[in-house]
Amino acid sequence: MNVNFNNRDPVYQQIVRYFKEQIAIGEIKPGEEIPSRRELANRMKVNPNTAQRAYKEMEEQGLIYTEKNHPSKITTDNEILGQVRTELLVEAVDQFVTSVRSINVPVEELLDMVKEKYTENSEKEV
Amino acid sequence: MIEVKEIEKRYGRKKILKGVSFTAEKGEITCLIGINGVGKTTILKAIMALTPLHKGQILIDGKPIDKHSFEKITFIPDSLTMLPNMTINEAMEFMKDFYTCWNQKRANELLGFFRLEPSSRISSLSKGNTAKVNLLLGLALDVDYVLMDEPFSGIDMFSREEIANVFTSHLIENRGVIITTHEIGDIEHLLDKVVLLDDGLVTKEFSAEAARENEGKSVIDVMREVYQK
Repeated sequence: MNVNFNNRDPVYQQIVRYFKEQIAIGEIKPGEEIPSRRELANRMKVNPNTAQRAYKEMEEQGLIYTEKNHPSKITTDNEILGQVRTELLVEAVDQFVTSVRSINVPVEELLDMVKEKYTENSEKEV
Repeated sequence: MIEVKEIEKRYGRKKILKGVSFTAEKGEITCLIGINGVGKTTILKAIMALTPLHKGQILIDGKPIDKHSFEKITFIPDSLTMLPNMTINEAMEFMKDFYTCWNQKRANELLGFFRLEPSSRISSLSKGNTAKVNLLLGLALDVDYVLMDEPFSGIDMFSREEIANVFTSHLIENRGVIITTHEIGDIEHLLDKVVLLDDGLVTKEFSAEAARENEGKSVIDVMREVYQK
C-alpha cells in the first residue's frame, strides 16, 4: 500500500480515491476484508484520525460496511461498484477533455487519435 | 486538552513570548512551527512548569499543572538527558524508579520497534539511535500527553521514517501530542493541527486537513502565506 499523497488535497479523500481505484482495477475484491483503521494508518503513514475519517466517508458512500465485532468489508452491492468505475472514468475523461480543449482540436481528429493510441497501448501490454 | 492562555515570557530584557494562546486536544497531533528562537522550546518548558512565566496561564484538562500532572504528561527534550555511561537497560530502570506510570511492556515493544539493543551503552550510540532512546523513554510512560521537542532534527531519513512510523502506531493513538519542528515536509500527513508562531505570537492556528479541504492548500502553502508577507 504505497500511496504517494499530494499535499494539497485532503488526505482522507486521497485514501478514499485509492480504495476506489483498487476496486475498479479489481485489486480489491467485493466482500474483501480491509485493514483496521489503525493498521491502515500505519501502512499508509497517515494520522489515525485521518484513516478514521476516510473509513467514515467510505461507509457513508456505501463502499464498505461493518458488522458488529468484525473487520470492515468492501461492499458487494454491484450498483455501487459500478458507480465507482463510472465515477473514475468520468473524472479521467473530464480531465482529459479540459486539457485537450485548450488546444482546440476538432473532435473527430481527436477521437481518431484516442482510438489509435488506446489500441496501440493495449497491444503493447499484451 | 492542554490550554495555553496568553502566556508571556522574557529572558532578561528580551521578550520571547508576547501572549501566546492555543489549545491541543487529546487524541490529536499538534505541531508548533516557527523559526529558531521563536520560543517553541520555551512554550513546551512552560507547559511542563520548567520555566516561570511572567503572565498567562496553562491548564491541563482544566487544571493548572502540579506535581501529580507529571504522571499525566511528559516532555521529550531535543537531547537525551540520561547519563552517557548508562546502558539502555539502566536508563529504563532509572525511569521506572521515578515514574509510577512507566510501562515496561511498552518499553520492550519500542525497543523492538526501533531495533535497539538494551545492553548497549548510551555513549556508544549513534545520533539517530540516541534520539530513538530518548523517544523510547518518553513514550513508554503511560501518560495522556506527550511533548516532543524537535524529534526529527539532525536525524537521517531512515531514522526519521522510523520515528514518523511511531506517530501512526498504537504507541501514540489516543494521546495528545505536541511536537515542535521547523522542517515539516515529510510529516505533513501526520498532523492534525498546526500552530504557526512568529515574533512571540501565534500567527495562525489551523487544522491541516481543513486547509486542504476548504482552500486546497498544503501546510507549507499556508506557511508561505503567513511568513512571506
